[in-house]
Parts: sequence; C-alpha cells; structure tokens
Amino acid sequence: MTEPLQAAEPLDVASGPSAAQPPPGGVCLRDISKRYGDTIALDGLDLDARPGEILGVAGPNGAGKSSMVKILAGEVLADEGEIHLDGLAWQPTLDRDRVAAVHQEPQLFPNMSVGDNLLVGREDTRILRPRLDAAERALMTDLAIAEFAERTLGTVPLAVQQRTEICRALARDARVFLFDEPNSALTPDESRDLFRRIHLLAKAGKVVILVSHRLAELVAHCDRVAIILDGRCAALLEGEALTQEAIASELVVGQATRDAKGAVRGGPAEERPTALRLTGWDHQDGEFVAVDLHLRIGDIVALVGVEGSGARELVRSIAGFEPASGQIEVRGRAGPAGIASDTAFVSADRQQSLFSNFTVRDNVVSRLGREIAGFAGALRRRRMTRIAAAAREKFQIRASSLNLPVRTLSGGNQQKVAIAAAIVKRPEVLVLEEPTRGVDIGAKAEIYRLMREYAQDGHALIIYCTEVPEVFEVADLVYVVADGRLSDPIVVMAQPDVEALARAITRLERHSTQPAAA
Amino acid sequence: MSSESDRLQSPTVPGRPDDLRARLRFVGTSVARIGGLLIAVLVIAAIFAVLSQGRFVGFANLLGLMRAMSTIAIVGMGLTLVIVVGEIDLSFGALYGLCATVLAVAWMEHGFPVYLAIAVAFAVAIGVGLFNAFFTTVIKVPSFIATLGSGTLIFGFTLAVGRTQTFNPAYPTTGHPLDPGELAFFTGLSNQALPFNIPMQGLWMIAAAVVFGFLLGRSLFGFRLKAIGGNAQAAVLARLPVRKYKFVAFILCGVMACLASVLDFAFVGSASPSGGSSLLFPVFAAVIIGGASLSGGRGTIIGTLTGALLLAILTNGLAVLNAGTFAQQMLLGTVTIGAVVLDQLTRRFRR
Repeated sequence: MTEPLQAAEPLDVASGPSAAQPPPGGVCLRDISKRYGDTIALDGLDLDARPGEILGVAGPNGAGKSSMVKILAGEVLADEGEIHLDGLAWQPTLDRDRVAAVHQEPQLFPNMSVGDNLLVGREDTRILRPRLDAAERALMTDLAIAEFAERTLGTVPLAVQQRTEICRALARDARVFLFDEPNSALTPDESRDLFRRIHLLAKAGKVVILVSHRLAELVAHCDRVAIILDGRCAALLEGEALTQEAIASELVVGQATRDAKGAVRGGPAEERPTALRLTGWDHQDGEFVAVDLHLRIGDIVALVGVEGSGARELVRSIAGFEPASGQIEVRGRAGPAGIASDTAFVSADRQQSLFSNFTVRDNVVSRLGREIAGFAGALRRRRMTRIAAAAREKFQIRASSLNLPVRTLSGGNQQKVAIAAAIVKRPEVLVLEEPTRGVDIGAKAEIYRLMREYAQDGHALIIYCTEVPEVFEVADLVYVVADGRLSDPIVVMAQPDVEALARAITRLERHSTQPAAA
Repeated sequence: MSSESDRLQSPTVPGRPDDLRARLRFVGTSVARIGGLLIAVLVIAAIFAVLSQGRFVGFANLLGLMRAMSTIAIVGMGLTLVIVVGEIDLSFGALYGLCATVLAVAWMEHGFPVYLAIAVAFAVAIGVGLFNAFFTTVIKVPSFIATLGSGTLIFGFTLAVGRTQTFNPAYPTTGHPLDPGELAFFTGLSNQALPFNIPMQGLWMIAAAVVFGFLLGRSLFGFRLKAIGGNAQAAVLARLPVRKYKFVAFILCGVMACLASVLDFAFVGSASPSGGSSLLFPVFAAVIIGGASLSGGRGTIIGTLTGALLLAILTNGLAVLNAGTFAQQMLLGTVTIGAVVLDQLTRRFRR
C-alpha cells in the first residue's frame, strides 16, 4: 500500500539505496514537517528505521531531533507528512502503545514500586489491586529488575529505572524503541549494560532508534546513522563511511562561516592581565578533577564536552553554583569572595534566568542593587528605565516597549534580556551556559557580537558549548572536557574551517572516552 | 522573515506611543484589578446602604468600618510580604494570642513597666519570625508545614505562659492595681480621643500602610521580594539574597501580628490565648482578594487594604441588617472564591 507512494516520491539522495527498495517493515517517516509559531522544527524529514537494526540519529541542538522523538513518541502531532509502521499508516498520538521512548529521565511514577510501575495503565482489574502475572515476572527477571520489584522506583539507580521503562514497554508489546540520550547520566558499566539490552532489542526484531551526542557510541553501536540538520535528514552514514570524524564534519557542514572576527581578536596574550585562574580545581563529587585553567582579559574560552563529561559542572563551579575546591583567583582576588562579586552566571535554561512575572525593564535591572536604589532603599525608577533603554539599544532587544511582560518576547530576545541582565552588572568574568540554546540564527549572531564586545571591553568570558559552530564563531580557545579532565587547548583561529575544528574536538573527545563494548 | 520586519520597527525610543500604551496597559492591569475591587466594594456598600435605609453609611458606622478592618489589614500587610516572596505563614493567628498574653503576663504579673512589656512582646514576635524562616530556608521544611507546626507550638506556649487565663488590665490577677500612668498610656494606644472620633487604630493602619506600601511597591526590598517570589531559582543564580529576604519577610509578618495584637488588647481591654484563632481565614481572604498570588511574585499593599475593607463591609453590613453569622460565613466564602475566579477570567481575557 505504501510502495507506490514511496516510489513516486523524489527522495533525498542521501537516503540512497534504502529509498529505492522500501523496507518491508519498520518505521517510515515521509515528508514530516512541524513548526512552532515562526520556528520550523522539521522541514520535510524522510527517515526509515528498519526492524532489527539500530538507527543512530545525530544533530545539533535545535535541528529537530527532539521534535522527531516527540512525534514518534506520540507526544505531539506532526503538521504534515506520513508515518508508516510495518507497512501500515500509523498515527503515534492515537496509538502510543506501539512505541516506547526511553529518556534520560525516565518518565515513570517515582512514588510507586518498580513492579507497580509495570502495571499502571494496564491494570486489567477494576476493584482488586493489580498483580504481576508470571509473564511479567519472567520479563523482569530477564531485565534483571525482579529483585527490585518491591522497591520504590525513586530510590533505585537510574539504570534500573531505565530498565523498568524498557520492561514496561516490552510488557505492553511495543514495536518501536526510542532512546533519547539514554546514558548521559549512567556510569560506564551501566551504559555498557544498557547497550547490551539495546542490541538484544534489535536482535529480537524491534525497531530501535538511538539519539545521541556521543559520536563514539553512535559508531560503536549503530548500523546506520542519520544526521539531522535544519529539520531534514542531511546525510545517512553506514558501513565504512560511518566514522566519528565523518559524523563530526557532517554535523557542522555549512553551519558557520568565519566573518571579520579575526580582526577583533585580542592582542598578544602575554600582555593581557589574568582574569581567572583555577589551580587543582576539583568537583566535590568528582565530576571533574585537578583542573588548571587560565583566562586573560579579553579571552572568550569555550568548554565543550558531552553531558556527563563534567564540562557543564566545571563552568557552573566557576560561578560558584557547583561545589568545588582548589584554588580560584578572579582578577587577583582568591576564593569565594571573588566568585560572588566578580562573576555572573546565565543558565542555559531561561526558566532559570528570567523572572516571568516581571517586565523587560525589571528583568534587565534585576541583578542590580545600589545602582538602582536611592535613599532608604527607594527604587530610582527613572534610572532603571534609563539603564534598560540603553541595554535595549545596545543589545538590540526587539521589544516594542520596556514595560511589556518579558514572557511576551521571542526566545532570542528573551535570551538577550537574560544576558543583558548579567552584563549590566559588569562582572569581570561572565559565565554563560549554552548562550544561544533555542535561539534563531539572526539572534545568535547578535549574541555572539555582544559577547565579543564585552570581552574587548576588558572582561573575560567562559562558556559551556554543545555546538561546534558556536565555538568556531565566538571562542578564542576551546578546551574539551572528557571524563572530568581538561584537554590541551585548541586555538580556534588556527583551524581553517569549522569542519576541521569539529574533527579536532572529536579527536580530543575520543582520546579519553573508553568505547563501550559492543 | 519576521525578524526582518522586527528589525525595521525597533529598537523603539522610550516615550514613543507604543511604549506609552504598553506602560498604560501594564499600569492599567494593576489599576483595573484594584479598581474592579473598589467598584465591588462600592456596589456592596450601596446595596447595604439601601437595605439598611441609610444606617450603613452613617458617619459613625463608616469610622467603625475603619476600625473593624484595621486588625485584618495590619496582619494582612505582613502576610502579603510572605506571600509575595513565595512562602506561606499559618502561625500569625497563634502569635497574635501569644503576644497579648506575653505582654499581659510581663506587665501585670511580673511587674515590668508596660513599655518594656510591649518590647518583650515584639521580641517574641521577631523570635517566632526567625524560627519560621530558619526552618523554611535553612532546614528547608516547606513553610506550610513549618508554620502549621509552629502555630500549634505557639498556642501551647500561650496556654502555658498565661495558664489558659484571659487577662484584663482593669482587674489585675495579682490584686495590685497597675500604675495609672502606664494604664492610660496603654489604653491610649488604641483609644486616644481624636477629632471627629477618628479611631486610633485606623491611624496605626494608615501609618503601617504607608511604610509597607513603600517597602513593597517602591523600594529595592520589594522589587527583589517579587523577583524571589516570581522565580526563586533564577534569584539564586542572579545572586539575590534569597535567604535574607525570606527572613525579613517572616519577621515582618510576626511583627505585624504583634502590632495588631497589642492594639486590639489595648482597645478591647482583654487578652485571651485563642484571640487570634479566628483571624487566620479572614486575613488570608483579604490578601488573596487583594490580588496576591499564592504562588508568589505578585501582591500589593493597597490590594490587601481593599480586601480587608471589603471583608469589613460584609461583616459590618450584615451585622447592621441582623443577618446572622451563617450569612456572614457564606458570603465570605463566596467572595473569596469569586474574587479569584474573577481574577483568572480577566487574566484570560487580557491574553
């Protein structure tokens, strides 16, 4: 039934041989589009996942990966396009039992026991308390969670929670398994075990899709890897072509161009004073160890590393929002005093950086104290308006009025407000976490310009990045964090293009990741 | 494409009509909220005026209203701060009883000068505020539970300290009459004869409203209080002094409960341990009717005052009409839910 349709459709060259002979089973996505307001999340995505294989999906943040996962998991409805499952038209929002999505954070009932979690929603009883039957118990034994049956889900290790989620899906006979960054919070042993389960699922003929940022794992475990860029499948790698370097360069193709920024990079490093120095900097729970880092005034330093590598924690610890010990010196001042007064932090999550009950103006000045208060702590409103108006001008915040509630602004403008609020406080070291997450291209460029201006103004910036093009466009130096250790720096200007930078970062990342056993 | 057109029309110069309109709209929403409430107050007052054939709007009765609303308004102002910062305080009713009892015991039984006894009562209130804030912010017990517990604890203390008695300065339990000068000072706190029979407690209320209105609406303190209540996590990451401000809010809430308690004691001439137990609901009702959000970040002093006025009118008007307690309670419940429903509807309408 689906065959004539597929044959008639002009397909992406990249889908290659698989498009010519439609797979007998599995999941076929055809021309899937999804927009959220003005943002196009998916733009005619074509993708096939065959039963018995593990299909990897990679893509930068905002490329549409999570929209794809949400559509397949039946959480949102695609605007356009068709989905077929084993040759039959399939509407995931109506038939959610066919698919199991295993997220980084299991979406289960943490207050109930592991056993009860398997039963919720398919209790088969109206009066009596539901009980596990023999088949379900056998399944639990298979997945090595039987011993946890009576334990409260919230108290068992994350790996057991994920196995519970898998078990729950198997118990209701799911066909498609979506793993969305499933092991970012797991220990190496736990994630080895998880991948063993994933391979077993594939061997049992299930359709398995693995979304991951970790290139090593994609290469080690997947039969094919689809690269999603700008809401489409940009490339499909398999066989010999499937290498980490190949994925890394496909991910960044055409994503960044070097503009005139070369001209503005600060002068010779030795002449600029130190802004921040970390010596023997250790995380309290070992997320990173023995980090030495040196930032000069005018530097923009990026730290990259996959979730769980310790990069995010390291960046947060510099602002004092992760417990760490060792020596820290901000502009010559040592210890926590310097952290508190001379650094400002902007979280990647705008829920954590904006006050949604406030106007644009009040958000911009929300970090100020003495600057906006006069006698007896009275607010100097005219001054608040003046500061906010100047910031709107400088940061190109597109708000028709400063008195609009901040939540009415677009994502990019909200992010500019959040960064503006940190910059008007004039910290010596500005600490940003994924400064352009969920921001459109135009706003991204403006945010990069602001960051560079602030650095040239005699400050230093340290950013946590997940996207190579961002590093390429804004950073002077990049360090890779893997397993809590800092690599040697890469000088961004020394890289001819973004693909080369991506390959260099990947090499450093791979250096210290122990590839999990296939 | 849309960002292209955005680029053309902005950034806007402040003072442009757009800006003015948005400002008016923003100011308008709070004015509309209070304005709507005031209209409700006037309509209800008019209904009572007609039903009571004018007795309700008599000058004496209107001044009586001012006194009647003062207790709820004064305690409500303190509670507003706690609600705005995103916490809750259920202990102020018990604290109200404790403060009067402590004052009475210190003054009438232990022979403290009344000034010192009042100071002791306020010190106790500050102590309770510290206690609540400590358990809420340091131990991280949710404030609902911390203050539910501390309220019960305080009531037990009150019974122990006052040996479950009710105190009256005119009839000291020790048998020795109190110093007449001190007695006059104390009674004068609430019963000072003023021109036009203006109630003294009304003046206390207005004074407190000026101070708290400034604090919440015009000062850096209030600005940050709303920020913390609106998004506590963002406030921590922006390095706002979250814990300190919560301490201050709880302490001020205790201080206001104590102020109301001392003034009522001076006015009525008797202090009973359970005096504040009936205060809990109407004070919360006044704050909520006044537009404060229980999830934090929103609330005004003028709103709380208007809420207290509305409640006083209902209570007083129904009393003038001899409507009976049941009607009062039923109307109070209706108005509380109605005010919040109305608020939600207007909010949805604005979007």
